[in-house]
Amino acid sequence: MHNIILIARREYLERVRTRSFIAMTFLVPALMLGLTVLPTYLATHGSSQSKHIVVVASDKRTAELIQQQLSKESEEQKDQPAGDPQGFENRFRIEKLNVDVDLDTSDREQTALIERVKQKELDGAIFATKDALAAKKVLFITRDVSSFAANEVIQASVNRAVRRDLLASKGFSEKEIDNALETVDLKPQSPSGTRNPVVLFFAAFSVMMILYMSVFLYGISVMRAIIDEKNSRIMEVMLSITDAKEMMAGKILGVGLVALTQILIWAVVVGIASSTALVASAGMLKGIISIKLLAFFAVYFLLGFALYSTMYAAVGAMVNSEQEAQQLQVLVAAPMILSLVFMANILQSPGSNIAMFASIFPFTAPLIMLLRVAVQAASPWEIGLSIGLMIAAIYGTVLFCARVYRIGILMYGKKPTLPELMKWIKYA
Amino acid sequence: MYTIELEKVRKSYDHFVAVDDLSFKIEQGGVFGLPGPNGAGKTSTIRMMIGIIAPDSGTVSVFGQPFDRKCLKRVGYLPEERGLYKKMKVLDQLVFLGELHGMAMAPARKRAIEWCERLEISEKLANKIEELSKGMQQKIQFIAALLHDPDFIIMDEPFAGLDPVNSDLLKNVLLQMKEQGKTILFSTHRMDQVEKLCESICLINHGKAVLQGNLKQVKAQYGKNTVQIQYEGNGNFLKGNPLVQSFSDYGNHVDVQLAKGADPQQLLRGAMEHSRVSKFELMEPPLEQIFIDVVGKTDA
Repeated sequence: MHNIILIARREYLERVRTRSFIAMTFLVPALMLGLTVLPTYLATHGSSQSKHIVVVASDKRTAELIQQQLSKESEEQKDQPAGDPQGFENRFRIEKLNVDVDLDTSDREQTALIERVKQKELDGAIFATKDALAAKKVLFITRDVSSFAANEVIQASVNRAVRRDLLASKGFSEKEIDNALETVDLKPQSPSGTRNPVVLFFAAFSVMMILYMSVFLYGISVMRAIIDEKNSRIMEVMLSITDAKEMMAGKILGVGLVALTQILIWAVVVGIASSTALVASAGMLKGIISIKLLAFFAVYFLLGFALYSTMYAAVGAMVNSEQEAQQLQVLVAAPMILSLVFMANILQSPGSNIAMFASIFPFTAPLIMLLRVAVQAASPWEIGLSIGLMIAAIYGTVLFCARVYRIGILMYGKKPTLPELMKWIKYA
Repeated sequence: MYTIELEKVRKSYDHFVAVDDLSFKIEQGGVFGLPGPNGAGKTSTIRMMIGIIAPDSGTVSVFGQPFDRKCLKRVGYLPEERGLYKKMKVLDQLVFLGELHGMAMAPARKRAIEWCERLEISEKLANKIEELSKGMQQKIQFIAALLHDPDFIIMDEPFAGLDPVNSDLLKNVLLQMKEQGKTILFSTHRMDQVEKLCESICLINHGKAVLQGNLKQVKAQYGKNTVQIQYEGNGNFLKGNPLVQSFSDYGNHVDVQLAKGADPQQLLRGAMEHSRVSKFELMEPPLEQIFIDVVGKTDA
């Protein structure tokens, strides 16, 4: 045990003193904040340039209704309080619309308008002609075809205008129409909390990604360190003092502590930053980080890291260079990559059988269970079972990998084949 | 008491037998040589003494006890494959290895500094290992093996790659260790070094002991049948001479193995007829000659 601590301490001190550690520690949060804060900042305080749109309709009434609706939508958005996470998606929509009406439905006018959009004289043209409305297919010419949110607003406005027109023609009063067209707000809420689904999704997504990145990067870092040590031939000296198991344990412990240190610094930096006015006004981070989620993150990080870095340690011992390690590395990472692939699916139905199985199966448990915990879909017994099974899996993996490690670190030359690997395990 | 006892130790990898029922004992105190050609099984033998690998069969005793990892704190090992943490500073590295050997931090630090002064590299204490020359790295490795004041010191090719001045420096340190009663195992394929330093040897080839015992006795077995000649002039008199069994020409001198029953005086007369002889010495065969003979015979 004394040796494990000495080896872990060396690993820890040598790593936290490096320039790359210090750079990573402070650059990553800066980058993360930049990525989350900047777009929101730009969206809220961004260009006040208004967009110029022309509505082409067969009759003036329809055109004006669409015009009214569009102006109203863009006005409403500006009134959304900036700190409200629910207003978050709206913020990426259009800011201010300048809507003109055009009653010329000729093909020649259409071609002319399209040309004007092309020449950037106009930002868009909506063709809500009688025929188009009858066919329920309104053409919207815009250079920003990919701007889903903005297009959605325009679609909603056109729809409302058409309905308004229809209801008015049936003799409903203005007030009755407003009433009829008012949308009902649906608030999804988990049984245990009142959290906003968008925030919940962001929380789940971000903790899972951070966990994935940390386990992956630090696992690889264990592997790299072992390849380095193999190449520097330090193994022979170390083995004349301590045994392979202690070396492996010390190394994994040391790197794990470095990772925890870094994550802790990140958490603190993000915590401080999110309390500053700028980020608070963005409202993005509010509610994402809860103490409970952080605790689960720590637990699943430690378990996931122990499991994966042990396997990476064995891979490092088997090979002589990182190039040789690549295929094996992918094999080790496969369950984690699968977890990422199934993430959307599991977020869709966090209570499904697949989700439950994946959150208990030790190799996918760290990511999937954390995801389910984040969306509050896991029951305590499931969490307990997943932790128990992971500990058992770690034990098994350590026994297996320590044997590979013991033989591998003294082997130079070619990468072992599978039968050779079996022999190593038998030897040790 | 014996520092090391190997009893019928065997190690094989797949179908290759690296160490083949090898037995020898190393007495406490003194320098024991483990010479052998490349690939003879020297490193495997050493690795089994200190538990880096386990023998397939046979027993290893260290300090009179069956092998136990605890004894490693009393062993210092300089492996042939040198290895240090390249990015670590010299002093940190030595302290770390000292601590692993059971020293406390402060004494490890103090002794590391003393050793670096003694080996004339104290100005490099704050440098990273990768910034040092190969010879300096070797000195650090040497210190790492001795820092915790071990009773049993294993030196696998300690002088490889060192210049004569530094070789001499390290050799003197080893001789001082010997005077302090430490046991030193010296493994090399350089017979001249074994001859200079060791009292006892075990020459191994193909994993087997082919010659072992006190070096003087071993050499005496071969008798005084070697003549070393230094001369100026024509050396043709050696070729096809019935008095000569074989000879090795080293440029500056020639080692001649006499044929059985040959009279060295007769050879001297022959030599004087053809050249100016400046040295003619009847002596025991150099270990190198014995090595070539024995290894040649076992390989044949």
